Amino acid sequence: MKTKTLLFSTLFAFTAFAFSVLLYLIFFVVPQAQIAAGGLAQKIFYFHAPSGYAMYLSGAFCFVGSALYLAAPSDSRNALARAGAECAVVFGIMMLTSGPLWAKKAWGVYWAWDPRLTTTLLSVLVYVAIVVLRAFSGDGEAERKFAAALGVLGTVNLPIIHYSVQKWGGNHPTVIGKGGGGLAHPMMKLTLGIGFLSMTLLALLLVWMRTRLAVSATALARAEEEAMALTADGEE
Amino acid sequence: MTNFSMQSSPDSTVRTPESRSTEFVPVEGGSEGTSAGTLLVTAYFVMWAVLLGFLFMTWRRQGRIEQRMAELDAELRRAPRKP
Repeated sequence: MKTKTLLFSTLFAFTAFAFSVLLYLIFFVVPQAQIAAGGLAQKIFYFHAPSGYAMYLSGAFCFVGSALYLAAPSDSRNALARAGAECAVVFGIMMLTSGPLWAKKAWGVYWAWDPRLTTTLLSVLVYVAIVVLRAFSGDGEAERKFAAALGVLGTVNLPIIHYSVQKWGGNHPTVIGKGGGGLAHPMMKLTLGIGFLSMTLLALLLVWMRTRLAVSATALARAEEEAMALTADGEE
Repeated sequence: MTNFSMQSSPDSTVRTPESRSTEFVPVEGGSEGTSAGTLLVTAYFVMWAVLLGFLFMTWRRQGRIEQRMAELDAELRRAPRKP
């Protein structure tokens, strides 16, 4: 128990430090990009792209938890699947709110029905559906299995988002990876690298916290059932 | 996406009744007038608000669970038991 607390505190401290460095680099060090890319607004990129990556990571946790739950159900696997979906929604919202604000400057419009934007919206909506399903349909075995199946199917969309730019074109830039021109300034590369590191740490921290919360909620529900049974027996 | 703008005279210092807008016409590409600084600050504000809101909800729910656990524990200590 103590080891877990120490590990959690260490992860929290590293995450806070990484974000402090990232914000300093974004606002005080990294140069702004060309006007066509949004100028000063391009600095949204250092949070926007890592948020998208953190959504993939959270989606992967949801997928692993869901697949393992379908193979052999357990409370901890269900909790991981639930936590992964919840965090995927949070990172998805961060990405979908920051992207349009940058697009307004770079493209002149907040939203375009570009393949990557559309598939991303679809994926976030799948995770929203999982979260809503789990929140309002109870925590029975059937509901858990249905949510787990949705978690597995929802993750299938993630690789489609990633490759949609390369396969179908669209407005969304392809700066990093295959066909991309890359980041011209070394500070841009460093800032993006720290952005990815910060979001990885944050995703791990949030998934951990939400998994622990889901496990606690299940334990509480079980304890309440047992307490009711015990007190009912005692009153007889 | 389509935005609407007013058609007006290029010389903004000379205002005559004839130079006033007489119609609205759609232009392609939207407005370029939005400040990049405002968009940048808004984006970071929204992202941090979403994140901190999520952390607050997690912290509050964890607190409620712990409180209910403590109440349940106290109730069980007081409850009559089977001999």
